[in-house]
Amino acid sequence: MTPARSGGRWRCWPAAVVWLLAAVPGAGLAAELDEVLARGELVWAADQEGGGPHVFVDPDDPTRLIGFEVELAALVAGELGVKARFQQGQWDRLPLLLGRAADCVVNGFESTPQRARDWRCSRPYFAYALQLVARRDSALDSLEALAKAGPRGPWRIGVLTGSAAEIEMRRRSDLAIEVVGYDGTVDCLEQVRGRVLDAGLMDDCIASFNADRFGELRGVGRPFAGGTYTILTAPDTPRLSAAIDEALGRLITDGRLKALYDRWDLAGRQQMLLLRDAAEVPPAPRGSLADLIRGALPLLLSSAGMTILLSVASFPVAILIGLSVAVGRLHGPAWLRPFLACYVEILRGTPLMLQLYALFFLLPKAGLALPALVAAILGLALNYSAYESEIYRAGLKAVPVGQFEAALALGMTKWQCLRHVLVPQAVRIVMPPVTSDFIALFKDTSVCSAITVIELTKRYSVLALSTGRIAELAIVTALLYLAMSWPLSLLSRWFERRLEQRCERAPG
Amino acid sequence: MIEVESLAAIRAGNRILDAITLSVAEGTVTTLVGPSGGGKSTLLRCLNGLETFAEGRVTIAGHRLSAGDHAPRALERVRRDVGMVFQGFNLFPHLSAIDNVTLAPRIVRGVPPAEARRRGLELLQRVGLSRFVEARPATLSGGQQQRVAIARSLAMEPRVMLFDEPTSALDPQMSAEVLDVIVELARGGQTMVVVTHDHGFARRAATQVVELVAGRVHRAGPAAEILAGSGH
Ligand SMILES: Nc1ncnc2c1ncn2[C@@H]1O[C@H](COP(=O)(O)OP(=O)(O)O)[C@@H](O)[C@H]1O
Ligand SMILES: [Mg+2]
Repeated sequence: MTPARSGGRWRCWPAAVVWLLAAVPGAGLAAELDEVLARGELVWAADQEGGGPHVFVDPDDPTRLIGFEVELAALVAGELGVKARFQQGQWDRLPLLLGRAADCVVNGFESTPQRARDWRCSRPYFAYALQLVARRDSALDSLEALAKAGPRGPWRIGVLTGSAAEIEMRRRSDLAIEVVGYDGTVDCLEQVRGRVLDAGLMDDCIASFNADRFGELRGVGRPFAGGTYTILTAPDTPRLSAAIDEALGRLITDGRLKALYDRWDLAGRQQMLLLRDAAEVPPAPRGSLADLIRGALPLLLSSAGMTILLSVASFPVAILIGLSVAVGRLHGPAWLRPFLACYVEILRGTPLMLQLYALFFLLPKAGLALPALVAAILGLALNYSAYESEIYRAGLKAVPVGQFEAALALGMTKWQCLRHVLVPQAVRIVMPPVTSDFIALFKDTSVCSAITVIELTKRYSVLALSTGRIAELAIVTALLYLAMSWPLSLLSRWFERRLEQRCERAPG
Repeated sequence: MIEVESLAAIRAGNRILDAITLSVAEGTVTTLVGPSGGGKSTLLRCLNGLETFAEGRVTIAGHRLSAGDHAPRALERVRRDVGMVFQGFNLFPHLSAIDNVTLAPRIVRGVPPAEARRRGLELLQRVGLSRFVEARPATLSGGQQQRVAIARSLAMEPRVMLFDEPTSALDPQMSAEVLDVIVELARGGQTMVVVTHDHGFARRAATQVVELVAGRVHRAGPAAEILAGSGH
């Protein structure tokens, strides 16, 4: 049971590295304009979880995607004489799809010097500014208030990971804020509503789009730090990029883009004025590899620390719960056993991701707002407790029945037998599978990034996308993971050898 | 010290013990003999409540067990006063010899660790294992393990000792080591019931011999009579 499972995880992990390495921009796989035309399809990537007004699921027909970018993509594809086809991806990693799963990214990607350096950026198609959103009853009532810490310490500000809002907030060392990265803006707004966050910073169009749904929230101060959206294409597709530019130009001149924005209540006239005068963003210079490593290594190391913290804090809890559940199922009162069996099946039968999500995003709705780190540790502990309980159950059953009888014959109570005779032996028996499960958990910590905890994998992906050094950083990150898990597998092998020796020496 | 009245035990629909009545006086040694499958182990395990019986009564070391008695507290009290040594030793493999011996006194009787250790060392010396105090069971020979098991039982200062074929898993030389220890205990006045196929032991130490055949007492009486009658 366990070896197969951890084996599965072992296989996943190198595959992920290969995938990351394969995602190097300019790997020569990008589809140029001719291929798009020959295919008759322009594949555009976006994240429907990112929400409205960009790309979102039609509430009236959940099988349909709508949003102003859905219509824009259709218009651009139409200008190229092809059909538009949607490709889903996680927002901050959408550019990695370029050249393999998608021809372009159309999803509120702000023109930044980094993006201009690492990808091809089209001419601007939309102008945005950043809007701070807080609860109506919040003490945070102006942008100036961010300069001094709030009643609960530094203001906790949620942003979309990898967005201009995040870059802007992390740049502002003058503000008394703690920045928390989210994978979706709606998640972030939910957490502002639930008072987990003091405010969220997002593009003004997103703030107004969600204004009705989040009636408890309001905009704080005027929109600031404006910029434009660009359509990203792979670096080695100059002709596709130029064709998209021309298409956008025609859509702007002939008024179709203005009409589109008016339809979406996005102030078409003002958009056109801003787009007409928008300056091109110059690409950032590419730093040397040495500078990159010097800058990234401390961040990667501290995130590796978070990975270790998540593992060593959650695993002992998982073992404790797992052992208790195993003992309860084998020796507890009969009425308790079906409940414990359900506990195990539910936690084993649902994805860790879903459990983390429930702990972090759903519990606050029930009035219990856990800090992300606590939710992450608890989620990992609960999920793994189900697996550990199965291991310990097998371990307890493997202790010969004569041990239990010998202990009983000495006048021990059942619990004394368990505590002093059965459990210590079971713990020794299950040492190897438990150790290999610890390695599996260690790698599963990366799932915690879904609830804003930045561990090594998340840090890698953020750094890789902001520096464009996807392959180089993947290697550094992989080495860090190996440096951490290698000693663990050595330990697990050592336990196994020791156990074998014990078995050989034991009589009969 | 032990009174068994009309005891019957049923397993899988068979009366594997039936109408067992016997008594063991304080300070005497009773050997249970008879063919394999005769019910010797089951009877022994009914005496300390490791197994239950369907009919009859057992009085042992001042405690009374009735048919269908399951209350864990009552059984624990019986077992504190009744030691048992198994054919397969059943030492705790994760503990050293001395820890095997001191565990129950410490956690069951609440004897302070230093006192428990002092007593434990004495007992290990008595069974001739002073050199193996810190040894793990897996590093000891069978005979040594069984002697640790005896010391472990004695550490609870039981009023009755039950032995279930204590030497059947041992070669003759190791058997002799273990039997010497048991005979020594018998001379010291320890009340005991010993299941054994070893007539030599019965001759040396037994006060009473009970022969079980097919779950019934086939013959019972003073050792001298029965052993003479059996023609050995
Ligand atoms: N739990 C049980 N279920 C069914 N049969 C049993 C059980 N325990 C003992 N027996 C049977 O009862 C008989 C007596 O067994 P046992 O007391 O071990 O005999 P002995 O120790 O004299 O060899 C055997 O035939 C055995 O198969
Ligand atoms: Mg037997």
